[in-house]
Amino acid sequence: MGLGTVVAQTIVNGLMVGMIYVLMAIGFTLVFGIMRIVNFAHGEFYMIGAFVFAIVFDSLGVPVAVSILAAVIVVGLSGVVVERAIFRPFTGDELNGMIASLGLALILQNGALLVLGPSPRSVPAIVDGTVSMAGLVFSLSRMTVIGVGAVAILALYLLVVHTQFGRAMRAVAQDPEIALVQGIRPERVYPIAFALGVALAALAGALMAPVLSVSPFIGLTPTLKAFIVVVIGGLGSIPGAVLGGLLLGLIESAAGTFLSAVVADIAQFVIVIAVVLLRPWGLLGKKEREA
Amino acid sequence: MLEVSGIGVTYGATRAVTNVSLTVDRGAIVSLIGSNGAGKTTTLKAIIGLARNQRGEIRLDGRRIDHLAAPERVGLGLALSPEGRRVFPQMSVLDNLLVGAYLRRDGRGAHADLERIFAYFPRLRERREQVAGSLSGGEQQMLAIGRALMAKPQFLLLDEPSLGLAPIIVDEIERIIREINTDMKVAIVLVEQNANLALRLSDHAYVLEMGSTTLDGTGAELLASDYVRRAYLGV
Repeated sequence: MGLGTVVAQTIVNGLMVGMIYVLMAIGFTLVFGIMRIVNFAHGEFYMIGAFVFAIVFDSLGVPVAVSILAAVIVVGLSGVVVERAIFRPFTGDELNGMIASLGLALILQNGALLVLGPSPRSVPAIVDGTVSMAGLVFSLSRMTVIGVGAVAILALYLLVVHTQFGRAMRAVAQDPEIALVQGIRPERVYPIAFALGVALAALAGALMAPVLSVSPFIGLTPTLKAFIVVVIGGLGSIPGAVLGGLLLGLIESAAGTFLSAVVADIAQFVIVIAVVLLRPWGLLGKKEREA
Repeated sequence: MLEVSGIGVTYGATRAVTNVSLTVDRGAIVSLIGSNGAGKTTTLKAIIGLARNQRGEIRLDGRRIDHLAAPERVGLGLALSPEGRRVFPQMSVLDNLLVGAYLRRDGRGAHADLERIFAYFPRLRERREQVAGSLSGGEQQMLAIGRALMAKPQFLLLDEPSLGLAPIIVDEIERIIREINTDMKVAIVLVEQNANLALRLSDHAYVLEMGSTTLDGTGAELLASDYVRRAYLGV
């Protein structure tokens, strides 16, 4: 393999992993920005998405696109229920909402352990083969992850920026009381915002299921990565989550390929510490207003 | 017609409003004057549904609305331009205006109103893509009024529109309040510390003291009243 191919594959790997981080981080930051919930159970929705996809695609033999959609819809609908049953009572209470999310994470992990068992389950690749571009060879399945992720992010961006519902979400995030006098009912915005956030996590889980394997505890790492991305990019900022996620994926991939996995782990924490020291509001976040 | 009869509002241990009654006819300009802490803002919040009145009644065209949540009252034709402007700071000027039309289903009518608001406030048109937090105080006030108008209200509640603004901007706001009232046939409930401005504009005005309406009359009557002149106009 020539150096060109190694570099190209490192970039593709980095973008793929980064895209997963972006999907995780956007959902996480969306839920925090709008509902002020620090959702420690975010990775559990990734895990459930991965399981739903594995079962529907692999065991039931349903086509890929439908299986991905099934994971997203099942998790999105469960998000509506979870918001209503678990988080609604903690509206405006960040600390207890966070504790409730920790409890939810434990319940979902152990529930999955009970129902699905501890052994990792592998899922066949969604597409086989490679594509060649400019003399370089890329794995088609990785390109698919990048492409699907990019489409989902673009769709979410258009929803948030160009629709009345998107404006309502932003209004509730910025001033819930004044949103009320625009005629916006937060109790209708919250479940949809939460469902959108966890549906993105489910999409990430479904896309990664064939790349990694699926087990009840796979949600922990993506949650941690979502935290890191959000710290780098700026809490509450969607462009920040995109930038932070892709950056983190590329750095991890490059450090992992050319140095070692240990260096890759160290590198990301060095970046986090540097951001916290030099730009605590994140690369694209909003500086807290000085009183 | 908007009727407030004998409302009382208590927040925790503080009674902000004890006994406020007022009537606003369709198309009228009615103002509430009074010193800081007299209960003016709380009265507006009770009318729009951001505060609950424990006593008394609020009626719109005879129908009681005080059990309704704020978004429902907005749907019935009330809108608020809040104290301190409270524009959505990280949204563009245009998005702030569009979110004001959240409950409207007549896209064409909303678009026409957007153009009308840009005609009233040309500076908002110039800055339509700018984030609202970067506007000057006067521009934010214009945006808050424009956002409330985008709901196409029958009754527009304006809380301290002149507060903290340069006199030249206050004149502009006064002119625009008159124009809005005549052109759009919207009734205005104006809360002001600037009693002079409020009484010049009003068909009818109420004086609020210690949470109760104590005096009312036409704007001209109150401007001529010795008591009001001494207590609120500083002459």
